[in-house]
Amino acid sequence: MTAIVLAAVIGALFALGTFLILRRDLIRVVWGLAIIGQAANVYLLAMGGIAPGTADTVPVLAGHGEHVPETADPLVQALVLTAIVIGFGMTAFALVLSYRVYEEHDTLDVSELGDRE
Amino acid sequence: MTTTLTTATDLSTIATTPLTAMPIGSESQLVIAPMLIVLLAAVGSLLLGRRPWGRIGVSVAGGVAYAIAVAAIDWYIILAPDAPGIATYQVGDWPAPFGITLVVDGLSAFMLTMVAILGIASLVFSTRVLPEIDRRSYYFPLFHFLALGVTGAFLTGDLFNLFVWFEVMLMASYIFVAYYGGPQHTRAAFWYVALNLLASAIFLLGVGGIYATTGTLNMAELARRVADPAAYGIDPGPIVGLLAMLLSVFAIKAGLVPFQFWIPTAYRSAPPQIAALLAGATKKVGIYAIIRLSFTVFADAQVAVSLDVPGTGIAVAGDSPLAFVGAALFVMAAASILVGGIGAVGRSSMEGVLAYSSIGQVGFIAIPVAIAATTANPTLRHVGIVAALVYALNHTLAKGLLFLAVGTVRSATGTSRLADLGGLAGRSPPLAIAFFVGSLALVGIPPLSGFFGKFLVFDAAARAESTTVLVLLLVGSLLTIAYVTRTWNRSFWGVRTGPVETASVDAVQVGVLVVLAAAIVAVGAGFEPVYEFADAAATAALDSEGYQEAVGEFVHEDEAGGGHE
Repeated sequence: MTAIVLAAVIGALFALGTFLILRRDLIRVVWGLAIIGQAANVYLLAMGGIAPGTADTVPVLAGHGEHVPETADPLVQALVLTAIVIGFGMTAFALVLSYRVYEEHDTLDVSELGDRE
Repeated sequence: MTTTLTTATDLSTIATTPLTAMPIGSESQLVIAPMLIVLLAAVGSLLLGRRPWGRIGVSVAGGVAYAIAVAAIDWYIILAPDAPGIATYQVGDWPAPFGITLVVDGLSAFMLTMVAILGIASLVFSTRVLPEIDRRSYYFPLFHFLALGVTGAFLTGDLFNLFVWFEVMLMASYIFVAYYGGPQHTRAAFWYVALNLLASAIFLLGVGGIYATTGTLNMAELARRVADPAAYGIDPGPIVGLLAMLLSVFAIKAGLVPFQFWIPTAYRSAPPQIAALLAGATKKVGIYAIIRLSFTVFADAQVAVSLDVPGTGIAVAGDSPLAFVGAALFVMAAASILVGGIGAVGRSSMEGVLAYSSIGQVGFIAIPVAIAATTANPTLRHVGIVAALVYALNHTLAKGLLFLAVGTVRSATGTSRLADLGGLAGRSPPLAIAFFVGSLALVGIPPLSGFFGKFLVFDAAARAESTTVLVLLLVGSLLTIAYVTRTWNRSFWGVRTGPVETASVDAVQVGVLVVLAAAIVAVGAGFEPVYEFADAAATAALDSEGYQEAVGEFVHEDEAGGGHE
């Protein structure tokens, strides 16, 4: 059940992100990119499971007593954490750039930005 | 960070020879040295913001130290008679499948060497062209962060870390594309950022899929698992599709058609010395990642591939992901050669010609990789990778030289439009000679480095007995001659125009160009050691088992009681 809901949510996020990227407004394009980035993060998180821990899978806990609990996959969480930070920085940068585009072109409409040459 | 104990190989080398009589573990430390040096240079030049000359001093010193570290890696790990050929460093001393592994083998070292040569040239060039205000801004720290990202991407042995280093490299390059700050540059930078954000999301999807499929992201461990899926209880089925996603991301970085559209605007917008670095170094990161993942990591996976394009009779079949990579890469490379070549012929500015030329030239690098991926013959596969690497080296030197030459022309005359130029040859003969050498290297005239690059690529195509590829390469070469001749005629010959008449050419800038031109001649004239290096690099790229053993040895040793407590 959880898997189906997750799959549907990830699919919906990607659809929404793609829809926004295809808009003419630059800010919506940035939002679309941010949403697609977050969808990728949710997907990444969904790729890890919950498994009985062993000294192999939980190296951090291995040296601290006999009992190693059942854990969610720590690796994907570390990956997602990194990806969120990077995505956050990149989105902020893209927003600053779009403000700059607005200052220089007086518009945020992609079709009015002029020739790309 | 502490260093791991040496591997058994390290110990035996040190015991038997006085040549590598270094302290224990120094080979591992060498692996991380270039990254630490470039990071220190970045931070150091950031801290010295209020003292422009101090910043330049730290930057250039960092560049020189980086080159020395790379040269030491080349010698002690790859080229010396008793060198181990591969060395690893476990960051923080965590053992291989959990911790972050840095690996230097022939392939990484070859790529690092190209970046080191071009990096120094570009750095020295930068010190001369920047206005005073920019010396105080963040140009030099960013330059080093760009180099840090490229270095990390070449050294990492972990797929997710490859993503992280890509982002480090991209973040710096975004700012360089927007560097001049006009409306055009901002617009170019925005599309460049948007495209790469999308690519990053796709990269993450590929990484997540590979982790879900195989249960690891360490490249050596990945190679081990996909080669023997039954033993690890994994289903290798999705790997081809996931590799296709990653391939598209790397193709964007390499600028292969149909992912080339960002290149002309981005290269035109970035300062010329950075465009040299984008063409010479970040492009090669894409090529490196394609070679590394296709050949070292996923080559041994047993997955049935069968693709039919309905209605064309085109069919691809094989039992390894390489069958797909080869076919896809071949189509992209062929399109790149044509699109890049034809595009370059009609451009109105020197940067435009070089940017489109860059698209075409990367096709010449990718074609032999495609040949190597499709063939089952180990010799031909080896020849293909060697050809790609030698051509990549030639492209880095020649395109780096040409972009820097455009920078020189622009800072001397204030323009790089072909219509506004003319008669440059009489104004500054050394500049003209350097540009001429770079152009001829692109065309492939002996005894320059380009000749061997072209020769090996044609050789690989001939050995593959593919007339289509040979004709394609021939057309691509003719297009190269066409746009190179046109650029030369328009800018260096003919009547001197106003901007050229009043131009004052900077001696140091021309000096950098002349040194690069000499390097191109030297690579061509003394090709034997370069070939040996490329040969070792290709051997390393194809030696998946050696790679696994070198990385895996640490796991074994750690279990045996070494490592952290």
